[in-house]
Amino acid sequence: MDAAMSKPIIRLDAVSKTFQAPRGGGMVEALREISLDVRPGEFLSIIGPSGCGKSTLLSLVAGFLSPSAGEILFEGKPITGPAPERGVMFQDYALFPWRTVIGNIEFGPFARGVGRRARRDKAGELAELVGLKGFEDRYPHELSGGMRQRCALARLLANEPKVWLMDEPLAAVDLQTRIILQDELLRLWGDGVESADRPTVVFVTHGIDEAVLLADRVVVLARRPGRIKAVIDIDLPRPRAPLRSVPEVARIVDQLWSVIRDEAAMAIAEEGN
Amino acid sequence: MSPAMRIGLPFAVVAIVLVAWEIAVRASHTQGLVPLPSGVVHSALALTEDGTLFSALGSSLERVVIGFAIAAAIGIPIGLAIGTVPVLDRTLRPVLDGLRGVAPIAWIPMAILWLGVRGDAALFVVAYAAVFPFILNTSEAARRIPRSLFHAAESLGAGRLLLIRSVVLPGALPFVFTGARIAMAFAWGSIIAAELAIGIKVQTARRAVAGIGQLMVDTLYVRRDVDALVLYMIVIGIVSFLIDSGLRRAQARLMPWTQR
Amino acid sequence: MRRSAGLRHFLLSWLEPLSGVVALAVGWQIASMVAANPTLVPPLQTIWGALVDLAHGDLVNDIVASLFHLAGGFGTGAILGLLLALLCARFELVAAVIDPIAEFLRPISAIAWIPIAILLFGVGQGVPMFLIFYASLFPIFVNALDGIRRVDPTLVRAAEMLGASRRLVVTHIVLPAALPAVFAGARLSLGVGWVAMVAGELVGADTGLGYRIEYFQEFFSMEGVMATIVVIGIIGYLLDALLRLLQSSLLRWSPAHGGSR
Repeated sequence: MDAAMSKPIIRLDAVSKTFQAPRGGGMVEALREISLDVRPGEFLSIIGPSGCGKSTLLSLVAGFLSPSAGEILFEGKPITGPAPERGVMFQDYALFPWRTVIGNIEFGPFARGVGRRARRDKAGELAELVGLKGFEDRYPHELSGGMRQRCALARLLANEPKVWLMDEPLAAVDLQTRIILQDELLRLWGDGVESADRPTVVFVTHGIDEAVLLADRVVVLARRPGRIKAVIDIDLPRPRAPLRSVPEVARIVDQLWSVIRDEAAMAIAEEGN
Repeated sequence: MSPAMRIGLPFAVVAIVLVAWEIAVRASHTQGLVPLPSGVVHSALALTEDGTLFSALGSSLERVVIGFAIAAAIGIPIGLAIGTVPVLDRTLRPVLDGLRGVAPIAWIPMAILWLGVRGDAALFVVAYAAVFPFILNTSEAARRIPRSLFHAAESLGAGRLLLIRSVVLPGALPFVFTGARIAMAFAWGSIIAAELAIGIKVQTARRAVAGIGQLMVDTLYVRRDVDALVLYMIVIGIVSFLIDSGLRRAQARLMPWTQR
Repeated sequence: MRRSAGLRHFLLSWLEPLSGVVALAVGWQIASMVAANPTLVPPLQTIWGALVDLAHGDLVNDIVASLFHLAGGFGTGAILGLLLALLCARFELVAAVIDPIAEFLRPISAIAWIPIAILLFGVGQGVPMFLIFYASLFPIFVNALDGIRRVDPTLVRAAEMLGASRRLVVTHIVLPAALPAVFAGARLSLGVGWVAMVAGELVGADTGLGYRIEYFQEFFSMEGVMATIVVIGIIGYLLDALLRLLQSSLLRWSPAHGGSR
């Protein structure tokens, strides 16, 4: 793969993050010495048991949090805060409830000072692209979970970010909707189309099969403290959507499961207390 | 911010303002026209000594308690009725909303006429102000009781009265208490207003029936004692604060699941 | 079938509230007949006569004066309350000073300030305006601060991620998110403020509906007092209805307030 040769778009260099536990607790170590290079244009999945710091890792790259130690570089420069070039899709969508579908999609361009006419047109196109045509004037509370997710995706796309940071975006929708949205996501990212300006995706999920189906590489995190347990290349051809029922996928899922099984079992045992 | 600072800071700010105030008033020689912090302390000492303040406060509070009780006795049954019988709700709601829109004070001329100046008119105003929070909160509470509870009780053979006693009342109690808290605040606020308004009208209402509102009128128009006026405000503030926090604490203790 | 059911429903939706009003009127009329004293309980026709006289006379002026007091006091109270809430949410030091003072002042009913207001402003427009200002300041301040502090931090992050500046976050995320709470506070304070205003006009002003009651009482015209009370009740009701309408149209996005379609 020639992508491996190019400079990383995101570089995490021995990144650690500790929190002050609430109510006078001690310090909690969420992440310990994470080092990782994300290549431009790749689809990277992060999996791990609950409490392994997946979301923390994403928040660090997004710029919502800053690392306690180590350094995060975006295109060679340290990250100082959130920016439109790194778009985030949140687990609970985080749509603005007082804005319609169009109002949500156009917020990014609006915040960056794009004129009314231009941002309206763009938002309309995006609404159509993600399959929300006819729902432009609905408020988020009038949409189904899957439609909210499409809206959040269109809002992200409106800023044309170089990186998509996705925090379990499909966790809250039902199974059928999830399958459809996975395919849509791949299509919008440019699955099976070789192009130089394809966005980079960092996709946090707790579904192993989802991670395998979507990603070029899967990063497995261990918990307490969160650290990288394994990085696994997924050498499946693209486009991926037709591979859903291929035995090869099931084999890789099994292999990954054996890597994280012990961690997951420990997580369950601890939650039981 | 440290806890010591959290408590100390507001006190410090208030103290600085008071000292600055005192100096400004003395420097500009406007004592008697503008209240003076040290003058307030003086009148506090004088008025507590001769007992005027406490007897006025006592008679005001007495009317508040009686008016509040009357409001509860009228408001809770009405609230239960319109909360459980939808037809009553639809017929009475506009009337109640309209009556609620009338300031209780506006009734003072009528109340004086009907009940006389000797405190009863003020009672009417207090009860009028306090009855609406009772009605609103009780009806809202009764409406929120799940239908399934009614069906369950009915299928067990409970009649309407038993239903109200065993299902509606316990379920509604927390809301009613919240209503009572609001009603108490309204009652205390309007007793002062009522006494003020009546006091301004009837300067002859003398010490025997005087509440703190009448005392304020007397102070404002007859004695022109600005320092005492501020003192009364502070006393009213303290009583308001005590009533409010006392009822909040009672609610937290009696119904710990209803903190709002 | 369907049409007659719809008609029935329509008629009922008017008849039911109307019957409540009629019952009240009939009750009053009976009371006035029993009392047989037009001063003590003026009969309906007398009150109506006074209402017509009032409508030909000073009614419009009184209503305008009262609404002017209301707008002035409520406007300044709401703006100051909102500003204070924003400051308290932004600067911990401001909150540390304002919070306890507000907690102490808040339970004091606006009406209790009448003597002080008369002392400060003299008899006139200042008294009712100050009382409404005071009555609206705290409910709006407390509710707005609560609303601002409860703003979902993820929404703020989402806006920042999309490139929103600090100012944009305040105007387009924090304020709209706090709007339902602000509205709840505004409705509360308009109710309390209306009452305080009538009281203020009654004892400390020479204009407005409250003053009109005082005026009629001077002449011992109880039908005039009752006519003014009716007007006060209707306007108070309409004001709340107006705010409710505004609430449901402005908060159409909120599942709790605006109905979904």
